[in-house]
Amino acid sequence: MSDLPAQPDGAPTVHKLEFHGRGAEYFRIWIVNVALSVITLGVYSAWAKVRTQRYFYGNTQLAGNSFEYHANPLRILLGRVIALALFLLYSLSVVIAPISFGIWILILAAALPWLANSSLRFTARNSSWRNVRFNFDATYFEAFIAYAVWSAAALAFFPLVPFTRRVHDYFYINHHRFGGRNFKTEFTASRVYGIYLLGFILIVGMLVVGLLAAFGLMVLITKLHAMASVSLPLGPNDFTFIAFGVFGLGSAFVTNFVTTMVTNVAISNATLEGGFRLQSKASALRVAWIVTTNVLLTLLTLGLFYPFARVRLARYRMAKYAVIASGDLEAFTSEALEGQSAIGEEIAGFFDFGFGL
Amino acid sequence: MSDILEGRYFYPGAARAVPARASVPEKRTLHIADESGQALAQVQRRDVTVTARLARLTRRFDLADGARFETDDNDGADALLWQLGKLRRGRFTDGLEKAWPVVALALVVTVAAGVFFVAQVIPRMAEQIAQRIAPEVAHPMAEQTLMALDRAALYPTTLGAADQARATALFERTAAHAKGGIGGYRLVFRNGGRIGPNAFGLPDGTIVMTDQLWKAVKNPAEIEGVFAHEMSHVDHAHQLQEVIEAALVPAALAIFTGDVSQVGQMSAILPGLILSSSYSRGFEQQADDDGAATLRRMGEKPSHMADLLERLDAQVCGKKACGRSWIGDHPATALRAARLRQEDKGAIPDVVQDCLKGTFSLRCLGWK
Repeated sequence: MSDLPAQPDGAPTVHKLEFHGRGAEYFRIWIVNVALSVITLGVYSAWAKVRTQRYFYGNTQLAGNSFEYHANPLRILLGRVIALALFLLYSLSVVIAPISFGIWILILAAALPWLANSSLRFTARNSSWRNVRFNFDATYFEAFIAYAVWSAAALAFFPLVPFTRRVHDYFYINHHRFGGRNFKTEFTASRVYGIYLLGFILIVGMLVVGLLAAFGLMVLITKLHAMASVSLPLGPNDFTFIAFGVFGLGSAFVTNFVTTMVTNVAISNATLEGGFRLQSKASALRVAWIVTTNVLLTLLTLGLFYPFARVRLARYRMAKYAVIASGDLEAFTSEALEGQSAIGEEIAGFFDFGFGL
Repeated sequence: MSDILEGRYFYPGAARAVPARASVPEKRTLHIADESGQALAQVQRRDVTVTARLARLTRRFDLADGARFETDDNDGADALLWQLGKLRRGRFTDGLEKAWPVVALALVVTVAAGVFFVAQVIPRMAEQIAQRIAPEVAHPMAEQTLMALDRAALYPTTLGAADQARATALFERTAAHAKGGIGGYRLVFRNGGRIGPNAFGLPDGTIVMTDQLWKAVKNPAEIEGVFAHEMSHVDHAHQLQEVIEAALVPAALAIFTGDVSQVGQMSAILPGLILSSSYSRGFEQQADDDGAATLRRMGEKPSHMADLLERLDAQVCGKKACGRSWIGDHPATALRAARLRQEDKGAIPDVVQDCLKGTFSLRCLGWK
């Protein structure tokens, strides 16, 4: 399985990622996960999460070997119990003394960098390839600068958004380690600005097309009514409904278009110490199309398409990642693992801060 | 009892594997040999950790010395574990995931739980939250909404002082019989422009009436019915409830699926859809019922409001009544009017009858 022809030095080998998951297979895992989580009032959800992660990691292969996810469900469960307890404490204290709301916000803001680090570290340390574990090593201060300072700056001054995006990508990639070696990415901010500009043009274009289409539809309906006294069974609320739907899908399309292009740049400029380059060549249009149709189909099937959607996206997305090796893939040793609790990861997961690249 | 399991063996710390076979030659002992039969490892049962079974994923036997054995033969691995006397982790769950009847049952459980959550839990939570936070946010929210409407669609009123005084008198009379009492609500006049005849209640008790609506009224009880209806929206903080419901659904989805990133894609689209769909429209019925009750307390007949509804419907949609829509927004005017006429005789206990008649919405599954 892992027997690859040895490459002479200087001739880089491209190792593509592959995803072997199947929609129907994951559907069954997912539906059993959800049903058991419901029956056990959420207790099983920790095991469900581990099974899901293991399924996606285990079906992702690089150079003949799968990635592995090792998290202990009990630790995830503990994290969730603590997060829930804190949430109840928060709700209770806010009902009793509304002033405490401000204190909670301060606590949350102070804890946010720690939560981000802890969550990224938990995921990284529980991920491995060929027995070599990943790690994440940012300090509280670095996370504070990236997530609190820069995010606040982007909120306050909109043109800083692309720059902040680069700050986040640097933070995410440059603090990851694999077997004790550092990942490093570097690219100019102007590339991110160019991509966001393209996204902006796309939004404007879609708005114009959308308005013209809406206008055309109105005219058509009026004409139909006047000429043949046919009236479509569409009320004013239905138009709002359709408009919201189209707008939502449109924004999902543009968001994913932009995100994919930035990820391509960030990953394709990343190296791993020891002579490895990373590559991401996903077509932004294709990813945006897959995600948009996934959202639409998931809504139309009241959620039942969701597992197929995840597999569909992973299959395309993973196949477009590659590792270009000029050194020996097998020369890695695992970094010593320190015990790390799942608490940070789960508090973040429960309150949905939506990290990830 | 010594089955042979084909797989590959990794020496401690090595990245490269050699083909290998595992067997259980004697009780509680795992034996691993290479293709020629040369022994690679022999370990006690307690020194082996095996990953849980999951779909077609490779099974991994970690040995205490850092070496490991991997196989793609999951059935073989379970058979070996049975011989070894070890727990076959993940076997039961994997069996559930492979059995179609179980999958079908899981589907039923999930759908039932989802419907219960959407039809019962979320509306109740939204109501609780809305009533708790209503006073703090009601005023700014109402001001924002009215400002937005003034900018987009409404014009200053053209009603004379006499008309305004008459409307205000009827408004005060209705307020006296509604939950908030006199002073609990405030009447505001606007020219509706393209919106036409309409009235809406804002969370802080402000009720906007368009000039066009006032002109369509033939009997004072008709407009009193409309006022009572809007006052009910205000009392129940319906507008706030809608917004909270729209925010709760994606949150519930994230907890259900245990996945935030994909749900994030949907949180851009779901709230808008929920706000404009029939999901929150059960509020109309509640407001109609409350409005009818207020009218009865005033000694008026709820059927007057039905008259007004039908007149407006004819005015907006032409000679034919507006048909039901594909997606389903307000309950069709005809059904609302029929229900209001029934209210003349006394309160209708619940929505079941209407659900049976065809105004089926998710709220029919609840008891609102």
